[in-house]
Amino acid sequence: MKLNANIPDGPIQQKWDKHIADSKLVNPANKRKFTVLVVGTGLAGASAAATLAELGYNVHAYTYHDSARRAHSIAAQGGINAAKNYQNDGDSVWRLFYDTVKGGDFRAREANVYRLAQVSTSIIDQCVAQGVPFAREYGGYLSNRSFGGAQVSRTFYARGQTGQQLLIGAYQALSRQVGLGTVTLHTKKEMMDLVVVNGKARGIVTRDLKSGEIESHMADAVILATGGYGNVFYLSTNAKACNVTATYRAYKKGALFGNPCYTQIHPTCIPVSGDYQSKLTLMSESLRNDGRIWVPKQKGDTRTPDQIPESDRDYYLERKYPSYGNLSPRDIASRAAKQVCDEGRGVGPGGLGVYLDFADAIKRLGQAKIEERYGNLFEMYERITGENPYEVPMRIYPAVHYTMGGLWVDYNLMSNLPGLFVLGEANFSDHGANRLGASALMQGLADGYFVIPYTIGGYFAQGGFDKVSSDSAEAKQAVAEATERVNKLLSIKGKRTPASFHRELGKIMWDLCGMARTEAGLKEALVRIPKLREEFWRDLLVPGSGEELNQTLEHANRVADFMEFAELMVTDALHRNESCGGHFREEYQTEDGEALRNDEEFAYVAAWEYNGVGVAPTLHKEELTFDNVHLATRSYK
Amino acid sequence: MNLRLHIWRQAGPSAEGSLKAYDVNNVSEHMSFLEMLDVLNEDLIGKGESPVAFDHDCREGICGSCGMVVNGVPHGPERKTTVCQLHMRKFKDGDEIYIEPWRASAFPVTRDLVVDRAAFDRIIQKGGFVSVNTGNAQDGNAIPIAKTDADRAMDAAACIGCGACVAACPNASAMLFVAAKIGHLAALPQGQAERDSRARDMVLQMDAEGFGSCTNHYECEAACPKGISVEFIARMNRDFVNASLKG
Amino acid sequence: MRPFREVWQSTIFTKWVMAITGLLIVGFLLGHLSGNMLMFLGKEHMNEYGVELRSLLHGAGIWVVRLGLVVIFVLHILSALKLSGRIRKARPQRYAKVTPQESTLAGRTMLLSGLLLLFYLLYHLAHFTWGIVHTDFYAHNVGYEYTLANGHVVPDVYKMVVNSFQQPLISVLYLLAMVFTGMHMNHAIGSALQTLGLTNHRLVPVLRKAGVGLSIIIAAGFSAVPISILIGIVK
Repeated sequence: MKLNANIPDGPIQQKWDKHIADSKLVNPANKRKFTVLVVGTGLAGASAAATLAELGYNVHAYTYHDSARRAHSIAAQGGINAAKNYQNDGDSVWRLFYDTVKGGDFRAREANVYRLAQVSTSIIDQCVAQGVPFAREYGGYLSNRSFGGAQVSRTFYARGQTGQQLLIGAYQALSRQVGLGTVTLHTKKEMMDLVVVNGKARGIVTRDLKSGEIESHMADAVILATGGYGNVFYLSTNAKACNVTATYRAYKKGALFGNPCYTQIHPTCIPVSGDYQSKLTLMSESLRNDGRIWVPKQKGDTRTPDQIPESDRDYYLERKYPSYGNLSPRDIASRAAKQVCDEGRGVGPGGLGVYLDFADAIKRLGQAKIEERYGNLFEMYERITGENPYEVPMRIYPAVHYTMGGLWVDYNLMSNLPGLFVLGEANFSDHGANRLGASALMQGLADGYFVIPYTIGGYFAQGGFDKVSSDSAEAKQAVAEATERVNKLLSIKGKRTPASFHRELGKIMWDLCGMARTEAGLKEALVRIPKLREEFWRDLLVPGSGEELNQTLEHANRVADFMEFAELMVTDALHRNESCGGHFREEYQTEDGEALRNDEEFAYVAAWEYNGVGVAPTLHKEELTFDNVHLATRSYK
Repeated sequence: MNLRLHIWRQAGPSAEGSLKAYDVNNVSEHMSFLEMLDVLNEDLIGKGESPVAFDHDCREGICGSCGMVVNGVPHGPERKTTVCQLHMRKFKDGDEIYIEPWRASAFPVTRDLVVDRAAFDRIIQKGGFVSVNTGNAQDGNAIPIAKTDADRAMDAAACIGCGACVAACPNASAMLFVAAKIGHLAALPQGQAERDSRARDMVLQMDAEGFGSCTNHYECEAACPKGISVEFIARMNRDFVNASLKG
Repeated sequence: MRPFREVWQSTIFTKWVMAITGLLIVGFLLGHLSGNMLMFLGKEHMNEYGVELRSLLHGAGIWVVRLGLVVIFVLHILSALKLSGRIRKARPQRYAKVTPQESTLAGRTMLLSGLLLLFYLLYHLAHFTWGIVHTDFYAHNVGYEYTLANGHVVPDVYKMVVNSFQQPLISVLYLLAMVFTGMHMNHAIGSALQTLGLTNHRLVPVLRKAGVGLSIIIAAGFSAVPISILIGIVK
């Protein structure tokens, strides 16, 4: 298979405009004859569904939540980047493009990233018009803050709830279309499979989570906006229901999966407190501006932090990275924390934590100032841990946060399966091997509001859409397979719950395919995962039936896909013999322990083709060319 | 700590429900309330019983999925905290805890503690938006918005749509939810063009959904995990009548 | 454009009717109270007031007021019944456990206190206006008469009130009704301000406190008459 990214010709600044100008259009009267299924109602899905309906397409939107307002986009705290240059500090589309490519450790497609930077400014305008209450200065103009990986202030925010406000904006736009009857909203419906007819994506199979009904829905195009797969680790900052099922089923139907091993680990999360832990909570990265990170110098030091004198403390980030210190980038700070904990110097229950200490800052600035800056974060920390961070240092530990990999898409955001479009975190596209802060919201909305409405028209204008119905053999077969699978999950009647399998899988992934990976560890994972999967299908216990709200069954169905997907992820991590961004292979590091990229051999997107469960997938490469940004090594010393 | 839970169990929307007692032992004070229920559920599944169904997702207090009435208070005893962020250190050994679903005829029980809140979505669909197509927008800084207005809009927009206001209200009224959306958009210049029709249409849909009427007990504000002020209800009352009198 | 019927039937409009009629009733009670206070100025003032009330606008005034009051009370009661019927349907299944956080007993018992006050009102009218209960103390029935300073002979309202309230049963019922009036108003005034949409941050807290104060003044003021009669200050 030859991967064609369909990147338009011409200078990078003109590619998108040229592409729009060159794309064929669909007559307004004909648009309503095209049906589009949008799976997922997060930022990317809701914005796409609303915008396509505004254009006149017949849209169906699906979510497994009870409302289109609950997707995990809502939890993003920090903000959204846009190259507005309102601060007059030298920002530009070019600079945002450059920062994003560099931040992604030169593993993203230049043309996509440039387009992202271009449309970023329109996103802010659109959101303001929708009534998103962005933070403002006293003069009434939009406020910006700075964020990691950039030297300009380009991040727009709404208190600590930017993701929520942007999602509500998109949800409102979607609700408007639902009210107008142009979007049919299907809540509590989970996608079980993709229906491919004559090589084109033509429908999906869903399960109604309340009644258990499994049915197919046919259309002219399918858009997956189903988020990332961080929950393969069980513990992550993702919401509990986030899963890989939709994209993984598409993969099994022939869509290629791009760069599955790229995982972002966020350094400042609240550590695990016990076996019952169900998820991890992120603490804003901004805390590192004033907090100092340290662990005891001696391993096994059981003294309380206030009993440990300065001379027995190791401020390891300040020691190793004197110029960036506690503000080292996410991947570096995360790995350093893991390292000291692996040495047995971690703090708190289980030894998986490091101190983030505000004592010096409180001494220097006074408690009132710290309260003003971080009051709500301190409150949240205390609510969860029961410890007062004004008196006792916070304990933090890295956690899985975002997955840069996803289904492979071309410049049109269409996968190799014609008619299957993939948006937001679900695609592999714009962040390369590492995502910068405040860029996830930007990408989700760029895809949904400003890219897909253009590119899907070009696809439809090509014509050749015979009517397909739910009675087609392909649709019936997909429904039958989904039904059989549900029955199979219910009929094992073994002894272990889906959660226990999920936790075990997550532990394997975290230990062997987490922050730091080795060839030996990854090979071990490739032995342990199939074993666990075999046990899953032999000893799973799901009570109840498939004809009712059955949350255990829902979970089991998602874990079943993680069991297969994990192997793909490890395979990708094992093949990529280099370290870059969110993928760190211990064999490939500099003498100082920094990531060592191999641009000669690995400057490509690894797009994997499914060959069967437990069978090695086929690698397809999309070579990345950097005509506008020079490949360089990141340094934060 | 050891606890005795009294949990509302109801097999389906039309099934009869009742409170059932469960003992949970060795609960860690560091657990969240939902993690405590997770442990109970793992135990129930192991015994072949059906686990307690409850909605939840982000477990960070922002998605608005979770919600149950804990000892007579929606989201439990800690103010401005969703039940997913409530931790067991707020309870003590030997406590009896009553756990019930949101109770309102407009929120029918789907199963156990899960209720159907689609009524909220239908209210939003009647006008809880600004009618602006993608691409219509002018520059984001074209209209300066006073910081106080932007802040007020944000205060209201913080609503997570969990439904605790309805659950807490002695009348099962949805006024705080509806007022938050109307108040959010009414505070901004972008919301002015449809201000009247929005207030009118959303309130009438709220009534049509069968929520109770407000009698100003302010239990909603106390239960709201985001602390949204009942002042927005006063504003909505004014906006609605103002809009209605205009014809 | 919505037909007005829909708006008229909306809960918020009903609440406005409730709030406005309620505030008018508070106004009426203040007027009534000021009349009652004449009891402390003696027979002459009280009985003169009784006559003046009946002669406003050549006798039509009192009927205008009475008609207005009937309309106000009927609207207030109908609104209450409409809203409370809705509330009952809104939560058919009660909670096993309820722990109020902000609401007050007075607020939660508005319907009860309102209904009790309605019954009391009818009884009160039957007693002092229509003369169909406690007929022994009704001025017209028993021929209590009083000659005003200007020589006019008028019904002796003062005596009727004193004789009535010397009966412990009548006084106790009256005082109970005032407790409910105080409770009802305590919630009602602040509630009406909220319903009518007052949001001024300086004004509203003051008005709320004033509302509570007013409810106490009204309940205490009305109670002062029977208490004074019972303990013999007024006779």
